[in-house]
Amino acid sequence: MSEIVVAKAPATQAPAGRWRVARAVALKEWAELRRDSRLAWLFGLVFLLMLGALAFGAAQHMRLDRERAAAAATDRALWTGQGAKNPHAAAHFGQYAFKPQSPLALADPGVDAYVGEAVWLEAHKQNEAQFRAARDAGVGARLGGLSFAFVLQTIMPLVAVLLGFAGFAGERERGTLRQLMSLGASPVDILAGKALAALGALSVLLIPAFAAAVLATLFLADHDFSVADQLERLLALSFGYGLYLAGFVFLALGVSAFAKSTRTALVLLLAFWLANCFLAPRVMTDVAKRVATLPTALEFRNAIAEDKKKTFGHDESHPAFVAFRDGVLAQYGVSRIEDLPVNFRGLALRKDDENGFVIFDKHFGALQAGFDAQDRLRAAPGFLFPALAMQPFSTSFSGTDSWHQYDFATAAEAHRRRIQTAASEDLIHNARYGDAAYVASRDMWERIPSFDYAAPAVSFALSHARGDLVALALWAVLTAALAGFAARRLRPL
Amino acid sequence: MLEARELTKRYEGKADRPALDRLNLHIPGGEAFCLLGPNGAGKTTTVNLFLNFIAPTSGQALVGGVDSAREPLEARRRLAYIPETVMLYGALTGLENLEYFTEISGGRRLARAELLALLGEAGLAEEAAFRRVSGYSKGMRQKVGVAVALARRAQALLLDEPTSGLDPLAANEFAALVEKLRKQGMAILMVTHDLFLAKQCGTRIGVMQAGRLVSVFGADDVDHLGLERAYLEQFRGAAA
Repeated sequence: MSEIVVAKAPATQAPAGRWRVARAVALKEWAELRRDSRLAWLFGLVFLLMLGALAFGAAQHMRLDRERAAAAATDRALWTGQGAKNPHAAAHFGQYAFKPQSPLALADPGVDAYVGEAVWLEAHKQNEAQFRAARDAGVGARLGGLSFAFVLQTIMPLVAVLLGFAGFAGERERGTLRQLMSLGASPVDILAGKALAALGALSVLLIPAFAAAVLATLFLADHDFSVADQLERLLALSFGYGLYLAGFVFLALGVSAFAKSTRTALVLLLAFWLANCFLAPRVMTDVAKRVATLPTALEFRNAIAEDKKKTFGHDESHPAFVAFRDGVLAQYGVSRIEDLPVNFRGLALRKDDENGFVIFDKHFGALQAGFDAQDRLRAAPGFLFPALAMQPFSTSFSGTDSWHQYDFATAAEAHRRRIQTAASEDLIHNARYGDAAYVASRDMWERIPSFDYAAPAVSFALSHARGDLVALALWAVLTAALAGFAARRLRPL
Repeated sequence: MLEARELTKRYEGKADRPALDRLNLHIPGGEAFCLLGPNGAGKTTTVNLFLNFIAPTSGQALVGGVDSAREPLEARRRLAYIPETVMLYGALTGLENLEYFTEISGGRRLARAELLALLGEAGLAEEAAFRRVSGYSKGMRQKVGVAVALARRAQALLLDEPTSGLDPLAANEFAALVEKLRKQGMAILMVTHDLFLAKQCGTRIGVMQAGRLVSVFGADDVDHLGLERAYLEQFRGAAA
């Protein structure tokens, strides 16, 4: 060796600052990742999957939008073109309320495919949505399609595991951990550096993918959805997925610090990944179904029919009808229906509708409360198995969860009620009692506007996803604490 | 500078005898203490206890007065360590490895030219500094390890069979470096099987057997043959 000039020894070197250590570790890890061709292939594949899922989602979205617009135009033409007709007959003729698709459904289709895209609005009945895309799909649809949300919820945690499982166990096996720890740096700072590098690597995948999602959302947003609202929702989604994936990075590093070998770390993490992404959602769905039971479709309809029997409908011998008639006569101070200054048939129809509204609100409200109870029960262990919290959080901010569907169904029902009331009001004020030949003109059908749905704002999503957000935050905090604990106990041998 | 007080390590499941049994040792600055002994004698255990890579069962390992079990990070900051095989990051160059380890160590941030000078001082050719370590020989890796130790300006140096597997020329260069560091005032504890290296570098030489320090010689008080005899006696004793 050549001549050595060594500085005087005794003074101890000032310890490296926490940030300096974390930065150095992150830069080193980053350099290693960049030079690992296997990782480049993996990242390329996952990135293509994400772009493919977004492109597929956007194409699907545009197709459904076109179909919806065409169907809505046809339906409107049928409604306005029904000619001179008795208003109540027109109410029975009915029309469709089509659900405008949230632009973010391209990222997470949620329950949209399973709950139907249109509600048939007709007299006396509140219908459930129909035309479920899942029904038109083949058996393969039961396995779930490729969506951006699937890649983020299932594939990306796997990438996080692959990035982190060797974080400490690999260094221990290679012997570099001994070298590293002999330098006197805090293992927690080393952990922070490794976590920074892994999160940075995930961001390399996520930032362009989210940028693509922003562009697609801007492209797909129309008058039904505010662009600002959609961007706020995307921001919330980025935050939620950030917590979800950060938790996986911390978990992978924590397990790696505990595990004796990389093989042990990988097996444990893959087992958790399987449990989180595939087992827990199914098990908790079953548990929720058994604990918070819901009526079957038949039971639900029968219960409504039972309650409806208590109202009079078109049955003029029904005691409720008689009571209503007597009340109206007394109110107007006449003894015969024919002497009323307004059309009693219109009044009776309006009253029957009002009775029905209360019954529908009660049953559909209870059904939604049941769905919500199941959802909350299913998501309860979301801080341990974060997919249980991530899935509802994602569908909520994508506008494709059951609450957004309920909001649409409620708006459609409100529109139906406006039609019913308009038809009844027309009868009340323009038709004579017993005049079966009374008809309203096309002008009246045109006065009744098309169904125009204003989707709820991001605050609506937040109000229903607050518990999921707390669970995701808890998941990230718990895994960070686990990783910190494991790092403090770290031994290089 | 380096001090062991009744330092004892007993591994779980091996209760019959401790791996290290009440070791008392003091190595002041400017002294190189070489530990000889058969495999399993407790030499590497001693080094690992000073680094707090393992916790002592009882007793203390002190570095500059700092108990390594109580304040492991502070103790390590006063140490440099070169193991039998310096393990580096294969995807990084020698220069990047050195830069990384010096960043982690703290102290003044070294410029690239200074890092290259350190590698040069450790004997690594400049063109090798820019090559990935995955293609390095063991000797080249050891030189990067030496450069890390130089950069750290530590008070004490722990060497665990550092010349094992090196060719005689590289081993000789290494011994010269150790001698230089000792003269600079560093306290050095070197574990080795190499009697010649121990005689060349050490100011004192200790022989361990079955976890105990059984004899200590002044390096000037014993010649090579005498050292070899004493060492072989301990070996035979261990084998018996």
